[in-house]
Amino acid sequence: MKFFENEVRPILVKRCYDCHSQTKQKGGLRVDNIGYLKAGGDTGPALVPGHPEKSALVEAIHYANADFQMPPKNKLPDAEIAILEKWIKLGATWPEDSTTKVVMTEGGFTEEQRNYWFFKPVAKVSPPKVKSPWVRNDIDRFIVAKQMEMKLDPAAAADANELVRRVYFDLHGLPPTREQIDSFVNDKDPRAYEKLVDELLASPQYGERWAQHWLDLVRYAESDGYNADEYRPSVWPYRDYVIKSFNDDKPYDQFVREQLAGDEIAPNDPSVLIATCFLRNPVYEWNQRDVRGQWDIILTDMTDTTGELFLGLSMGCAHCHNHKFDPILQKDYYRLRAFLAPVQWRDDMKLATPAEKKVFDEQQAKWETATADIRAKMDALTNPLVEPKVERALTRFTDDLQEMVRKPDAQREALEKQLAGLCERQMQRERKTFDPMKSLKTDEQKAQYKALAEELKKFDELKPKPLLDAFIATDAGTKAPSVSLKTRKGEQEIAPGFLTLLEPKEPEIKPIGNSTGRRTVLANWITRPDNRLSTRVIVNRVWQYHFGRGIVATASDFGKLGEKPTHPELLDYLTTKFVANGWHLKPLHREIMLSATYRQTARREPTSDIAKIDPSNHYLWHFNPRRLDAEQVRDALLAASGELDAKSGGPSEDGNGTRRSIYTMKKRNNQNELLRALDAPAGFASTAERQSTTTPTQALQLLNGDWLLARARKLAERVENINDVWLAVLGRMPTKIEREKAESFLKKRAGTATAPVAANDADESSGTFKENSPHERLVVQNGEEEGDEFTVEAVVSLNSIDVNASVRTIASRWNGGKDSLESFGWSLGVTGVKSRFKPRNVIMQLVGEDENSNIGYQVVPSDIHIELGRRYHIVARVSCTGHTVSFTVRDLDTPGAAPESVVVPMDIRAKLSAGTAQLVIGGLNKRAPTHQWDGKIEALRVAGGLLDDKTLNADAEKWSDGLVTWRSADPLTSQLAWSGSDAKTVEADDPFHQAMNDLCQVLLNTNEFFYLH
Amino acid sequence: MSCNRFDLPNTRREFLQTAGCGFGAVALAGLMGGQNASAATTLPQRAAKAKSVIFLFMEGGPSHLDTFDYKPLVNKLAGQQLPASFKAPITAMGESKSPLLECKRTWKQYGQGGLWISDWFQNVAQHADDLAVIHSCASSGINHAGGVCSMNTGSVFGGRPSLGAWASYGLGSENQNLPGFVVIKDSEATVVNGVRNWGNGFMPAVYQGVEFNSDGVPIKYLDNPKGVDRKRQRDKLDLLGALNRDYGATRASNTELDARIRGYELAYKMQAEAPQAVDLSKETEATKKLYGMDNEATAVFGRNCLLARRLVENGVRFIQLYSGAGSKWDSHKGIEVNHSKLCNAVDRPIAGLLADLKARGLLDETLVIWGGEFGRTPMSEQGDGRDHNPTGFTMWMAGGGVKGGQTYGATDDLGLYAVEDRLHVHDIHSTILYLMGLDHTKLVYNHKGRPERIDQNEGHPMTKLLGE
Repeated sequence: MKFFENEVRPILVKRCYDCHSQTKQKGGLRVDNIGYLKAGGDTGPALVPGHPEKSALVEAIHYANADFQMPPKNKLPDAEIAILEKWIKLGATWPEDSTTKVVMTEGGFTEEQRNYWFFKPVAKVSPPKVKSPWVRNDIDRFIVAKQMEMKLDPAAAADANELVRRVYFDLHGLPPTREQIDSFVNDKDPRAYEKLVDELLASPQYGERWAQHWLDLVRYAESDGYNADEYRPSVWPYRDYVIKSFNDDKPYDQFVREQLAGDEIAPNDPSVLIATCFLRNPVYEWNQRDVRGQWDIILTDMTDTTGELFLGLSMGCAHCHNHKFDPILQKDYYRLRAFLAPVQWRDDMKLATPAEKKVFDEQQAKWETATADIRAKMDALTNPLVEPKVERALTRFTDDLQEMVRKPDAQREALEKQLAGLCERQMQRERKTFDPMKSLKTDEQKAQYKALAEELKKFDELKPKPLLDAFIATDAGTKAPSVSLKTRKGEQEIAPGFLTLLEPKEPEIKPIGNSTGRRTVLANWITRPDNRLSTRVIVNRVWQYHFGRGIVATASDFGKLGEKPTHPELLDYLTTKFVANGWHLKPLHREIMLSATYRQTARREPTSDIAKIDPSNHYLWHFNPRRLDAEQVRDALLAASGELDAKSGGPSEDGNGTRRSIYTMKKRNNQNELLRALDAPAGFASTAERQSTTTPTQALQLLNGDWLLARARKLAERVENINDVWLAVLGRMPTKIEREKAESFLKKRAGTATAPVAANDADESSGTFKENSPHERLVVQNGEEEGDEFTVEAVVSLNSIDVNASVRTIASRWNGGKDSLESFGWSLGVTGVKSRFKPRNVIMQLVGEDENSNIGYQVVPSDIHIELGRRYHIVARVSCTGHTVSFTVRDLDTPGAAPESVVVPMDIRAKLSAGTAQLVIGGLNKRAPTHQWDGKIEALRVAGGLLDDKTLNADAEKWSDGLVTWRSADPLTSQLAWSGSDAKTVEADDPFHQAMNDLCQVLLNTNEFFYLH
Repeated sequence: MSCNRFDLPNTRREFLQTAGCGFGAVALAGLMGGQNASAATTLPQRAAKAKSVIFLFMEGGPSHLDTFDYKPLVNKLAGQQLPASFKAPITAMGESKSPLLECKRTWKQYGQGGLWISDWFQNVAQHADDLAVIHSCASSGINHAGGVCSMNTGSVFGGRPSLGAWASYGLGSENQNLPGFVVIKDSEATVVNGVRNWGNGFMPAVYQGVEFNSDGVPIKYLDNPKGVDRKRQRDKLDLLGALNRDYGATRASNTELDARIRGYELAYKMQAEAPQAVDLSKETEATKKLYGMDNEATAVFGRNCLLARRLVENGVRFIQLYSGAGSKWDSHKGIEVNHSKLCNAVDRPIAGLLADLKARGLLDETLVIWGGEFGRTPMSEQGDGRDHNPTGFTMWMAGGGVKGGQTYGATDDLGLYAVEDRLHVHDIHSTILYLMGLDHTKLVYNHKGRPERIDQNEGHPMTKLLGE
């Protein structure tokens, strides 16, 4: 022992502790206790008492293996090496010291780790026996017992108004309507509340709310998430699947199995198969050449998410080393990953039953037979151009990947299938994006192709209705790719397995169909009734969403770094019951919501005692006040304005519309502004708990943003008086004081506002474009697209420019966006006061592909500045092949004035017509008043190609060709339609209505609207 | 709510309460200023010179080989393939076998330290003795999405907080009425991946960067809606404040309610003050000229550089200026044309910024960083371009106490791989925090059970930048 203290310990302290003791454990190793040394680090035991030759530590200090040398910088003096060797040989005795005693048990885990509550079986608990009139069900017994112990007591029950609002937002994510409030408040039945809960649980809005929680957890989004952020048009059926599963009260075990292994369980049932979209949710980048790297990231993401979501374990910590705080071995991380490693993302499957597929195939075959000739001719024209592009896409990959792609599929190993599949997606893209009309070399070929395309169209009647694409995953085959754990000591092949601590044995796995069967085994383990992790985790999540805080507050991390459960017995009690009830969520909701605990008021201020004992309300001495989350706010705004679209399911729509938030598009890089400002997650990683942040920029958006203003105006339209406003927004009548405040506000505002101006002075026939009139913009329906070489010619006069930097638009094919494929387009217009291009500059804005195939936005200024109130003949000729925009502007009010011309270089190379916008005269493809023309557009035409100078003419009557021609003097053709102000969203001119709008907007911004408190 | 400070109290609320001011103050302070806004109150700090950062981000990947990393061997071997002694890299566009591309620049040595700088940055070169040129930068992102995300957040994968968010979290802001982290782009084009580059990731939104427009209205929604004058806005806010105060009177323990009331008031103040902070009309013509605002080619970036100085003066902690927003520095072909134009657009403005900061005594406390998401390959692409090179590229820093006039680290003889003192993005981030006085290993945010750090536990600061 003296030898140890005098000789050995000093060496360990001096040479090793820096990296391998309490503060740091490099390689997962600690050397400050014999227990740790025996257990070792990532590479296994560090020493074997009595056997220096078997001890990794000895190997390392001898510098025998070039890759495994310790200490890393300098070899120890020989004398010290000898001492350590001698110590190990003598049995590596370590002084008994009760405070540092570490007992290792089987598998290298400490007793303490094994006894950590989360890894112990779910206990059979009886509710505490308490005598309290407050108690309504067993939940309350646990809560009140704990409160008594803590010297706390429950809050009074919430009144009917508080409760009804809470329950509607909780179960439906929507405020109750006035009728719903009245009906509950006036229901004298003692079971009124129970009936309400049951009714709400049975309503389809329940699924629309609770699915959102799940979508947060599975990082659901509808776009790829990297730069291109490509939209995923086929992902929405998964969202509907989740909603339906909640509404059907699908047992949670089944729900989990379907998402992890639906393809193995029921490959022919599209309603189950779609669940595997869970495996498709990771972020993806279609043009990533580092295909191996990307697949590794995807697998890591799937593994981490699976660990957090189902097991409540931060598996990610064990990716690079044994978990520092929880008994999760690095090997366990790879064991979990091995279940997922065979996954292949499939794009070739359809969401249809075998019968539907059969019908489709038969019909498709008919069409194919009928059109075989035509298509063959078309291919003959295009293949010589497409195939080299596809080949070029292939050669961008490294040699090894190219080899995989060139191999016949049957000869590919599993990993090769996965990687080649990812490469092929990139190659396929060349086919999908190939535009024959642009690429074909001669006009003759183009004409030929066009004729064939028209011929082909004639057979459209034969074509079956397309089946939905299946955004799902399967395995790459029955054989799995290898999963190996690389450490300093070498590489180790890892088979699928569960947490070593709970289940050291490797499970037996048999292939299912054309699949390894691995994920079914994983899903079955996760959903075993005695799985102590997954069952507690889901019950805790349900509790968390109801109360705003879980029994374990860190709902995706039950490990040591997470928070301890406040009521562990209650969690086990509910878990046991949940499993016994067949894993149904609805009975659990019901039990929670019927408890007295849930029915407490949120309106209780802490006494000084309570503030000391439990300031954060861990023991539920009142209901947690909560801010509505992003979707609740947006839906409540639409409910208040009376615009909420009740339609359920189907493809997602733009968030500026009126669908419920769960049905709005979720683009990772381009989130809806309002939802983002209110902390809706972007979908990059699993989100277990929403933030609730308050920032001045959020306030600016709510005060000054168009969307909220439009809702306020809508609301103002449908109310008659102050009572109506309060009822619509807050679901209650104003108090006397509130009414007085509102009245004096209305009076003050209405008295000081300026006199109304006549709203509509636009003259139908004169070509005057004016905001807030029926003649704001002219929208061109179904016009032929002008492509990447075109001319815009117009005769215009302008009355005003924007006071900021917005551009008055003469004509456009643009939605105003700058960063998505939908926003490809162009706009010709005149700059505003604060423009960086100086005011009154005639400019062309372009969004298309640039030289490097990135999405490019560019402003091409002519630097020709026009005067207000004068007539001009303006021509812009855009050429993507010539890389220029040429402008010609002539002042028509100055007799004999010479035209000014300029040719300006530009960077956009293609796709100006490839966006979703229609051609619009006098504005953009959406209503945006500051971008609208204010003045006359007497005539305008858009022509394909670059018109030569001779064909240009300030006299529009002389215009002969053009894809779209409009003259204000002529009657409106059916191709054109005026789009006026949507009178309903435009502010009324009279002061009273303005003041009412303001009052509505103020109420929609109040804390009472935003909070359940 | 769980606490995200790893070694601190159990819940965020507790943390905030111990910080003495409740959620409201902290949440607002994070964006709006106040020393208590951050983790810094409890973090050990090293006295640092750098109080603010101006990060000049050349988006798309500027070529180090044609600007700051002089490699005569490239021209010697121009036209030949990469020698076999070099490991073939994975390149974004797969032209690793293309011949090496000649550098057409004229190179000169500048300053006491004799730094080699090409004629593309001849104005910046006048400040050579202030530049700490780091030749050995490396990143994990081989394409723009991964590269820009990596340079900003440390991960090629979205979802993590950006460097500016970490700095705001660590140090808070110094101004009551302006955000602590501001981003300005040189055009309306979108930076690759959009807002997540200045996002807060898993942190509260108070730490996210706020985008300023360089002209017109500086912040989105800063202006009142059309037809609403300041009086009308005030009336609305007065009514809102009155209703909210009544509501809050019996709910005093809910500090978030108060935070929202103050949020609206601060928004109103910001409406008045933010435009003044960015109003350049009072700057002299000489100053504007110094930044190149008198010349069309340099006016846009010059203006942004001048705005950055203004924001530094106004106590904004972290400012990021994008040049070439939307990957404009990307030059797979025609690098001569592409880089001539872009270097010309930024060279004088950056030189002007350094000169102006120095003249005002601000350079010592302002760390200026120049770089992109990666550099470019010595191999050509499509004849006259260069592909992405994340394995070795150059960034430089100036001010904030760094020791200038010298280079740090090195690439190999062709500038392909960093071979000496390799500084991965994780190390770059650790270094920047270090220069701001923060220990990156202590600046921890607890998220889902993992004590998260900006460097994902892998970074080491290059402390010798301070000449220590």
